[in-house]
Amino acid sequence: MRNPLLMCGTVGLFAAMWPALLSAQFQPPNPDELTMTIDPEAKGAAAVFLEIRESDNDVLHERRYYARIKVLTDRGKELATIRLPYVKGGTDFKIVDVQGRTIHSDGTVVSLAVKPEDLLVAKNGEEQIQQKVFTLPDVDVGSVLEYSYELTYDPQHVSSPIWEVQQHHFVHKAHYDFTPFRGFLPGARDALNAHLVDSSGNVLDHLVWNWRLPSGVTVSEDPALGRFSLDVSDVPPVPKEAWMPPDSSTVYKVEFYYTNGSSAEDFWAQAAKTWSRDIDRFAEPTKTIEEAVAGLISASDSEAVKAQKLYAAVQSLDNSDYSRRKSESERKELKLTPVKRAEDTWKEKSGNSNEIALLYLSMLRAAGLTAYATSVVDRSRGVFDPSYMNLDQLDDTLVILNTDGKDVLLDPGQKLCPFQTVNWRHSGAEGLRQSANGPGRAQTPYQVFEANTVKRTGDIEVGPDGTISGTLQIVMTGQDALAWRQRAIEVDDDELKKEFDRDLESITPETAAAHVDHFLGLDEPDKLLMAVVKVSGSLGTLTAKRMVMPGFFFETRETEPFVKEKDRLEPVDMHYASQVSDQLTYHLPDGSTIEGAPPDTKVAWENHALYIVKSKADPGQITIARVLARAFTLAKPEEYQDLRGFYQKVSDADQGQLVVDAGASPKGN
Amino acid sequence: MQARISISRTLAFAACCAALLPGWHGANAKEKSQPAPDWVVEAAKTPTPANVGDASAVTLLDEILISVDEQNRAVERERSAVRILKPQGREHAECGAEYDVDEKLDSFHSWTIAADGRQLQAMDTDFADVGAYGDADMQFTERVRFVRPPGADPGAVVACEITHDLRPYMSMEVWGIQDTIPVVNESLELALPAGGHYADSWSHTNPIEPTETADNHLRWEIKNVPALDLESLHATPPWQALAAHMTVMWGSDAVNGVDNQWRALGQWEEQLEAHRPDPTPEITAKAQELTAGAPDLYTKLSRITSYIQNNIRYFIIEKGIGGLQAHYAADIYRNRYGDCKDKTTLLISMLQAVGIKAYYLHVNSERGVIDPSAPSLIGDHMITAIEVPDGENDPRLQALVRIPHDKTLLIFDPTDETTPVGLIRGELQGAYGNLADGAESRVLEMPVLSPQSASLSRKGTFVLAADGTLAGDVTDVFTGVDAAGERGLLKEADAKEVRENLEKGLSSDLPSLDFKGYEFHETTALDQPVTLDLHVSDPSYAHAAGPLLLLRPRVVGSDAFAVPEVMEDKTREYPIEIGHPGNFPGDWRDSFDITLPPGYVVDETPDPVDVDMDFASYHSSTTAKGNLLHYEREYVVRQVEIPPEKAAEFRKLESAILFDEKGSAVLKKQ
Repeated sequence: MRNPLLMCGTVGLFAAMWPALLSAQFQPPNPDELTMTIDPEAKGAAAVFLEIRESDNDVLHERRYYARIKVLTDRGKELATIRLPYVKGGTDFKIVDVQGRTIHSDGTVVSLAVKPEDLLVAKNGEEQIQQKVFTLPDVDVGSVLEYSYELTYDPQHVSSPIWEVQQHHFVHKAHYDFTPFRGFLPGARDALNAHLVDSSGNVLDHLVWNWRLPSGVTVSEDPALGRFSLDVSDVPPVPKEAWMPPDSSTVYKVEFYYTNGSSAEDFWAQAAKTWSRDIDRFAEPTKTIEEAVAGLISASDSEAVKAQKLYAAVQSLDNSDYSRRKSESERKELKLTPVKRAEDTWKEKSGNSNEIALLYLSMLRAAGLTAYATSVVDRSRGVFDPSYMNLDQLDDTLVILNTDGKDVLLDPGQKLCPFQTVNWRHSGAEGLRQSANGPGRAQTPYQVFEANTVKRTGDIEVGPDGTISGTLQIVMTGQDALAWRQRAIEVDDDELKKEFDRDLESITPETAAAHVDHFLGLDEPDKLLMAVVKVSGSLGTLTAKRMVMPGFFFETRETEPFVKEKDRLEPVDMHYASQVSDQLTYHLPDGSTIEGAPPDTKVAWENHALYIVKSKADPGQITIARVLARAFTLAKPEEYQDLRGFYQKVSDADQGQLVVDAGASPKGN
Repeated sequence: MQARISISRTLAFAACCAALLPGWHGANAKEKSQPAPDWVVEAAKTPTPANVGDASAVTLLDEILISVDEQNRAVERERSAVRILKPQGREHAECGAEYDVDEKLDSFHSWTIAADGRQLQAMDTDFADVGAYGDADMQFTERVRFVRPPGADPGAVVACEITHDLRPYMSMEVWGIQDTIPVVNESLELALPAGGHYADSWSHTNPIEPTETADNHLRWEIKNVPALDLESLHATPPWQALAAHMTVMWGSDAVNGVDNQWRALGQWEEQLEAHRPDPTPEITAKAQELTAGAPDLYTKLSRITSYIQNNIRYFIIEKGIGGLQAHYAADIYRNRYGDCKDKTTLLISMLQAVGIKAYYLHVNSERGVIDPSAPSLIGDHMITAIEVPDGENDPRLQALVRIPHDKTLLIFDPTDETTPVGLIRGELQGAYGNLADGAESRVLEMPVLSPQSASLSRKGTFVLAADGTLAGDVTDVFTGVDAAGERGLLKEADAKEVRENLEKGLSSDLPSLDFKGYEFHETTALDQPVTLDLHVSDPSYAHAAGPLLLLRPRVVGSDAFAVPEVMEDKTREYPIEIGHPGNFPGDWRDSFDITLPPGYVVDETPDPVDVDMDFASYHSSTTAKGNLLHYEREYVVRQVEIPPEKAAEFRKLESAILFDEKGSAVLKKQ
């Protein structure tokens, strides 16, 4: 991956300081590598990178890449196909001098004899992504694959590298180096008539890099040559674990970029001011906004009522992130001008989530309320990285209302999001915010489990042959309710029911059927969302004397996470805290008695999670209640065994069964 | 000949790739919008029929015009108009057109008539092009252009007009009559040169006669075609195997009669691959080396097929005609990679080198897509038919097709790297293919193998402790097609994934699984069994319920294949594909012994189950003797697909299996 930028000024001759490694490609095969059948460092791996060398040079405007791979299983053969994507167009990237060969374990060498294909990946207007594709010949399990190529680009551009240190396969050894644009080399800075500018015309006079690397590994800088290098060894593959934080926050990599900030602290201080100024300019309460606000609220309304009325007004607009974003050509056809101010969004009665959030900010301010903007990284996509000096990492904008001395976080850009509720992707999320003391870095709070609940209640009639019928109510608040309401914008009621049924199918017993009959409160975000569900089918298995049924209708499919995974490398990210509670009453056949039921149980992971089961038997019926409250959102790897222990106990308890003495001894199924 | 089912309207993968492009929403449109042409305006006046049900969109018009010139070159123009009825119906309004180095896209336009009557035309920036395929084992020159139509909201009508050259070496089109949404008006027009002729065949719909609207200008027209929506159904044949379509051929291949058409197609394919399999000295030497000293035909075949399965990496390189035509055997042998056509070519070549005749057999990777009554090149896969001498009766050669008064052929798929010669995997069993054998070319049905062609014998020995802990060992022995399936999993997964897959499978039966370990025992000989030893423990397998201890005698493994809508007794319209453990006949047996904890006795066991149908049978029993609880069962599947009329029998079978698998033995403390 690259960060291309335009170079301005005189292009002068410059002595290349080319690392020696590049003349040493395709060395004689290493016998140990050829005969290796299992890699002790990567047991069970399909393939491993024996070596990677990448050399990036913004003086010569080129990148040279070399890789040597050991194929250990059939699946590892897929690494014989190499795809080299590049952007076609302004920067004039070219991939040249592609070489490759396959070395069999007996030392036989088969060279790449065909020219790589140049294939389209995607093209829209002037933007085009191509890829060079080639396949190394005669690949066997045990083969060593080698290939190299050179990527060149326009002398008028620089292209600082992103070193993707962690691959999907184990890496034994890797070397990376980078020679930056000549203006950043020792002694050259003042001697050259050349400088870098970004697309906005800003002069970029600093070279920085942010990194995520294994412990003890750092990027080295050669002060004499101005060259950066990195040597790593034994890099494990990219981890794949359930409930991981976003990949971008965990994978080892180094990213260089040219910037105008000297330090992260200075950069963010300046960037926050620029960001805040832009926000204020967009959200300026113009006359149009003031008139609109005057028509929506009355002077006698309290601050809270004013804020709620305005929230309802912006929520009612078309949010194009949930409907359809108009293309530039369509906007032109409809004679819609570019949206530059909040009043443009109001006039158009349509905008994307951020535009609607800033419109709301504008309206609050027009109403005389104290309100600020905050822009955060979407937590489903990434984690804010302060060492990465780039405002582009901020995704979404929310609004902070300050009333009665307290900050209230609001998410007006989330369609059908209740007042004072935010999408989990914006909770515990870092970024920038405005405040009375000026703009700066900030983090939104995490959600409490009481805010996100699912309550499943109802009555199930059990027949003497084990058949069941009944009606259940599933009441949702918080994130589950928000997700289904937002889905209801994208699909009609019939499709929504089908999707809800598919969800039910994944948690109800295979012998039973559960179908949503109707929803209540689907388009009323400030009310509870309820799904009324009809159940039918069979539940109990019969013996000569008894009927045995699962104790927990919704827990027969073994859905609890972490029970199987003994170890954990990465933190756990459950997105948001929540509570699920069930209370189902089984009405049993006449004459039957309860011989056994899931025992009352309490399992606690102190300050993190709680599980409670209680049952109450009455003549002809039994009510079984189950609560699973999870107060945590994130857990560190060192907390994993406690977490897993909790879920193991939950899983165990969820297997409890209900045994009914059938009395008259019905047979069936 | 042209093999394609209409121009695809929904290209989710294309939209996905286009997200890579930063400029999708940012570029400026330079062209001037043009008003919608009359045909679009007229189509948009078509009322939505009352009987569209819960369809998310409806096709008001789909009109294909194929113009063939004197040199047999054809140009196709397709006009379509779709009304969006629901938000999710937008996806049906996204038109796309495939093109390639020899299949030029001449023009592509799109207009929208919004619900309020506004007319919009898609501009350059509303279109994007993507490479057709990006999988790790694919390298295609084919591209797709698609449009995100402006104003595509519910109530709007989106129209597209696409004109492109058909591939010059093809003279056939498959007209996709049925869609996943209803179609109000559709037509296919074929404009032939003077003296030109055509042949048509129909699948899953009644044939209609064309009207000749001008000299050599034919028009087939159909109205009110219902949607074929299988999204909410399970275990159906593939969509393409059920959808109505028509195949039309022109030029010299347009012959009368189904058999003649299959023959013409086979001859065309044979000609296309002529000399591609010619063995080189290196290939001949290798084939002879492999078969040296082979005691019988099976061994000879096995050595050559195994060589190709193990040494020729599956990789598709397609450029233009390369989508249909194989590379030369010499190139395939040298590079050691190739696609299905290439692998078949090398196999034919190597067999030829040792005096065995073999043929190309064009099939589809899913059963039912090739309809024997509708000759076409609709198949997407190439396999091999190997001629077997008269009198050959080796029982290991099971996938045989006997052609009356002609030859016996052994069907084999060299792309399938784990199924040994003599067998074919489930998707091919009972399916049809087009044999390329000169004047003897024909469509043939591949066999449904006997239940003995696949089996799993599972034996488990466990000890139950009084606290509910169950610990023990399980040995699975897979043979035939089942063993091929296991080998496939082992090839495709690394050690971590293999373990995770096993854990996932086991933990559905042992929720608190403590997986102690496993060992696979397999040989490189594909016709030998695969054995899997599992060592498991579950600290809470048996559960106390009051004074009782409940224990499921069926410890691991499931034969159940519940089809929800069938289990709910809903009317079944389509055949049911029998699904466990793969879609193929087989014989699966389980036998478990559980030693009970001291002081406990068996109070009750689940009743035995005995279900016998013509397509499958299931028998199970649980017995208690002393401190030993014994469970055993046998599930035999004899067919791959059953008609909808047998849904009730299928439900009875699956209910019996489901409840048997969940049945509990009740233990009491003495």
